[in-house]
Amino acid sequence: MIDQRILVWRFNRGSKEALRRIYEKYKDDLLGLAVSLLRDRSLAEDVVHDVFVSFAAAAGTFHLSGTLKGYLSTCVANRARDRNRLRVGRDAGSDVAEAADSNSAGPMEYAVGCEEAGRLRDLLARLPYEQREVIVLHLHHEMRFRQIAEALGVSINTVQSRYRYGLDKLRSILNSGVTR
Amino acid sequence: MKPAEDIEKFVRRRKPHVKTGRPMDKRVLDDSFAAMDQTLRASKPRPRRIILRSRAARLAVAAAAVIVVAIGLFMANQGSREQRPQMVGVVKSPAEMLTVMSLNIAYRRGGIEAVDEQSNKAFQMLGSKPAKASIQELLSELNGV
Repeated sequence: MIDQRILVWRFNRGSKEALRRIYEKYKDDLLGLAVSLLRDRSLAEDVVHDVFVSFAAAAGTFHLSGTLKGYLSTCVANRARDRNRLRVGRDAGSDVAEAADSNSAGPMEYAVGCEEAGRLRDLLARLPYEQREVIVLHLHHEMRFRQIAEALGVSINTVQSRYRYGLDKLRSILNSGVTR
Repeated sequence: MKPAEDIEKFVRRRKPHVKTGRPMDKRVLDDSFAAMDQTLRASKPRPRRIILRSRAARLAVAAAAVIVVAIGLFMANQGSREQRPQMVGVVKSPAEMLTVMSLNIAYRRGGIEAVDEQSNKAFQMLGSKPAKASIQELLSELNGV
């Protein structure tokens, strides 16, 4: 935490080295988040790029209230949502579950069979964007429901219900993948 | 159906480990540095801006202004006090010292001795005091009385 504060302090004083270190520290996590949300590597790269350029433009006046990772993750989530709105109809119709191995005995075994994280990404892609967003932010980026609610500008109850419905849907997708 | 915790565990374990490529790193860092430079150049701190932005600096400037004004007032006051005795002690010209009004004032202040003293001073300055001139003669001569 102190390390973060020092980095931000140096960044605010125009240290490019501090900016580079911040980027190096969080780039993979943020790109992973953007890829999970958008399922498009080049779009995800654009989102991370835009977030860092905006962040760099705030040098000198940037004020950190929470964690740097939380702040940057929120920025990525917000930008990804905007990009997702612009994208028309690309999310629909992904039948990844059909491509999954159907020889597994139970839902979790089936899921365990999906070794690649890419498969999970495709499973998540079958969820509505809002549910996917909450699940990814909570489970992959350790953001609390309250933080997510603040970042998305919705109530904590909305976030919790999106999360619950998302998990239910994910479970039913996994179950249907097994029974088929 | 598995409990929700299993699904959570399943999702958590399969967090995608995506790595950025070198071209992306270069693009992001180059553009970020450029944006940072532009911002910092645009908002180069000027003394006036620092004062306006910082509360402590504003207080310091206000305090300094108050101190300067106070010192100015004090010095002006001291100056006027020092000037007053000088005003009293301003050397009048001999002619002024011997006018009716001036001598009248001297009389009121210290009687005939004061008038005598003032006239003596005037003549000393002129360097032409008659050895046996009386005050009455002097007055009549100077003021035509």
